[in-house]
Amino acid sequence: MHLRMNPIARALIALVSTLALIGCGTNDKGNALPETPGEVAQEIVSYPVNGVLPKGLTWETNNEDPIFASADAKPGGTFRTYVLAFPLTIRRVGPDSNGSFAGYTRAGFLQLVSLHPNTRNFVPTLATHWAFDDDGKTVYYRLHPNAKWSDGTPITADDYLYTLDFMRSKHIVAPWYNNHYTTQIVNVVKYDDYTISIEGSSAKPKDEILYEYSMGPVPKHFHVLDENWVRENNWKVEPNNGPYQISKIEKGKYIEFTRKKDWWGNDLKYYRYRFNPNRIRVRVIRDVNIALQHFFKGELDTFGGVLPEFWHDKFKGKDFDNGYIHKIWFYTDNPQPAPGMWLNQSDSILSDQKVRYGLAHAMNIDKVITTVLRGDYRRQHTHHEGYGDYSNTSIRARAFDLTRANTLLDEAGWTERDDRGIRTKGQQTLSLRVTYGQSHHTPRLVILREEAKKAGIDLTLQLLDSSISFKQMLEKKHQIAWMGWSGGGLSPRYRQFYHSDNANKPQNNNLTNNAVPHMDNLIDQYRAATEKTDRVELAHQLEQMLHDTGAVIFTFKVPYTRDAYWRWMKLPEFRGTRVGGLFNPMGGQFWIDELERQSVLDDTAPKTAPVSILDTTYLSE
Amino acid sequence: MKLRPQLNPLTQRQLARFRSLKRGYWSAVILLITIVLSSGAELLVNSRALIVSYEGNWFFPTYGKYLPGSTFGLGYEYETNFRELKVFFERQPSNSNWVIMPLVPYNAFEVDLPASRYPPNAPSLSEKHYLGTDTTGRDVLARLVYGFRIAISFALILLICNYTIGVALGCAMGFWGGAFDLFFQRVIEVWSNVPFLYVIMIIASVIIPNFWTLMIVMVIFGWMSMTWYMRTSTYKEKTRAYVLSARALGASNARVIFSHILPNSISIIVTFVPFAIAGGITSLTALDYLGFGLPPPTPSWGELLSQGTSQLESPWLVTSVVGAMVAILLMVTYVGEAVREAFDPKKFTYYE
Repeated sequence: MHLRMNPIARALIALVSTLALIGCGTNDKGNALPETPGEVAQEIVSYPVNGVLPKGLTWETNNEDPIFASADAKPGGTFRTYVLAFPLTIRRVGPDSNGSFAGYTRAGFLQLVSLHPNTRNFVPTLATHWAFDDDGKTVYYRLHPNAKWSDGTPITADDYLYTLDFMRSKHIVAPWYNNHYTTQIVNVVKYDDYTISIEGSSAKPKDEILYEYSMGPVPKHFHVLDENWVRENNWKVEPNNGPYQISKIEKGKYIEFTRKKDWWGNDLKYYRYRFNPNRIRVRVIRDVNIALQHFFKGELDTFGGVLPEFWHDKFKGKDFDNGYIHKIWFYTDNPQPAPGMWLNQSDSILSDQKVRYGLAHAMNIDKVITTVLRGDYRRQHTHHEGYGDYSNTSIRARAFDLTRANTLLDEAGWTERDDRGIRTKGQQTLSLRVTYGQSHHTPRLVILREEAKKAGIDLTLQLLDSSISFKQMLEKKHQIAWMGWSGGGLSPRYRQFYHSDNANKPQNNNLTNNAVPHMDNLIDQYRAATEKTDRVELAHQLEQMLHDTGAVIFTFKVPYTRDAYWRWMKLPEFRGTRVGGLFNPMGGQFWIDELERQSVLDDTAPKTAPVSILDTTYLSE
Repeated sequence: MKLRPQLNPLTQRQLARFRSLKRGYWSAVILLITIVLSSGAELLVNSRALIVSYEGNWFFPTYGKYLPGSTFGLGYEYETNFRELKVFFERQPSNSNWVIMPLVPYNAFEVDLPASRYPPNAPSLSEKHYLGTDTTGRDVLARLVYGFRIAISFALILLICNYTIGVALGCAMGFWGGAFDLFFQRVIEVWSNVPFLYVIMIIASVIIPNFWTLMIVMVIFGWMSMTWYMRTSTYKEKTRAYVLSARALGASNARVIFSHILPNSISIIVTFVPFAIAGGITSLTALDYLGFGLPPPTPSWGELLSQGTSQLESPWLVTSVVGAMVAILLMVTYVGEAVREAFDPKKFTYYE
């Protein structure tokens, strides 16, 4: 193993010692680095080969899974979509780079391997093969020999080694990446120009290693890492390796991506028949309702309709009646976010389990779903839904039941009622503050509040600015936090949310201040287990224990995607994959019929009955 | 002994003049009636019944402790739904129980969600949602009425606070002049330049603003404008002959200010009052509209307005709140106009 250091450390060493090679471990610095302050390492041509591949590696790949695109797809055309605000930068990392536009830029940078959306198996991308070390935390990759940056430079092992230097650099001003590429990904070794290994911090099951310790290369020949990096790269188009590259930036108005003519990945099995539009134009339209008008005029190709008022009320008009605009409601099956009411168990009222149970039975979530949410959303029962085997589907959330709520609250000693009908115990009133940060959730909370009154519970609504409300929750100053954690990953995560190490300390994700010794035990076992069957069994137990604490009242899930789209937008027969994203401009399977676009806009295309598709292929219940 | 205090002849003439300005006068009358009615809004717009007669006993649930459903033989312990109770009693013709509901049988908070229809629901006479319901299913009229009550009391209290500080400080600056005047002039100039809206936004994002915190913030940043007018007017009045004579007769500072200068500056104060009220209502509405005002679910015009503008498919939301605002602000402006004219010493003004 050699010792790799970040550029600052290297520069420091260069400063304090003329013998720049001392202290750098083995022959890491074979080619002397001209990296003194003010002069930057641009001339580095390649990193030295540093490892000897262990014998007996079993190289794996995956070319057996079915493709998830249609051979009927026709390339060409321009896909037009919008964002609500012009991005502050097109950098991938660093300050202000995490806005809504980041999805577009980052999609241009592929990883070593990627997940097949339907089978959830890994498929080759920038790597053709991979192999696992016996230590349980190192994985070897064979790189695709044809992979190229958009400027034609081949992608080699050096770009992966450079990723560590880059992501660990203070110049990129990205603490999360600095930390991730130091504590999670601890080492990258080059064996030859097209073979590398990545070492993670701890042993994990194989699929978790591929998922957690995967990474993408950074174009070494392009970057100049110094204190000006952030400023100078705000609007510089970085060479990428995906199918699209930014071709035009009209500041404040739009950004245009163009399909690369001879993209190196055109022949990759799982990338064929996808990325069909020639151009993608992302306009800035600062208001959703105005964007909808642009869509109705045919200036945008699709429009998202997950929100009930759009789907039911605003998607109407003669273009829908004539079959010019179609609607699709497509159920998905992927890790769900976990929205809910996170009860602070250190609060004097909520520390009583009976109160927590009673509160759960007084929350009329179903009424919210059937009224303001139009019956579209579904009840979420556990923290981790949509994680395949890991999800414990036998648990049902506590249902609205005033009799049980009343019994539980009476048992907890809240027997008296005041003038408004709110329960009291001694001098205390059963009044609980709900902290939340999204004003459009107010109608949902108003209904819960009115229904909870029937059980003698008074909910006061504390609407704060979203970042302030989140801060208050992280500092555990809430009574009830109304929020949701995003979902994702291959398997559930418990430690950050429920381990007592994080309880009653500010700035962590244990919003319920959960501290159950037996749960801690299982969480540690879960993290240490490397066999999937053990992990699944432990995850089921943990989910049940969480349910028994009553610390979280889970609310809604939205296991679908909904869109309105003009008829010239074509979908494959199977319409979409398990994860949805039907019209995801950077990775979808759709294509555009430009001739039909013209005829529809001229009103010469044949009219049909209204089309509204409901696809329940991936509906899991 | 006089039965009514004798108004001074000038004031009498001003009142008579005000009364003769029909538009302003009637606006004032309607506005006063509205305010009086809204202060007893529980009797007009409420989900609690006015009177319930149940098995010979009369109940007056409007004010006071909640009555659980079991009081009237309904099988639940939470507050009685009097609309349902009314229907329930009416379905039993033999029995002598009855319920009298207020004109609008909804309060500003409860959600009324009829099956198979989704809020907002259009106005309906049969459901007694005279202006329809909002996006959560709450009665728009009830929210307008209670929102008005909050807005108008906010504007009035704000007015009193601002004027007390503004008039007192302005008077003092004009009366004492010199370094005191100079000092406060600079203080006010600096203070006026603090961007009020940003301060409100910052405060609203950190704490939940309630009626009184919002009031305090508005007073802290709103008292300045009146000081300038009072200062000039006091400067002017204090050099007048009648003030000098009062001084010569040995009148104290307090007497000079309260008995001589203030009454003679009253027309300035009075003229600004209606516009200050209009200002108070609009600023509360604007803050609520932007989401920095009173916390939900407080009934508020601004919140209704923001619902209305994002739900133009449900025109009753935006028309009712805009209609109400236009009506109130128009009346306030008419009153202000009439007051200004009535207190103007010149009956006719020629502009050159």
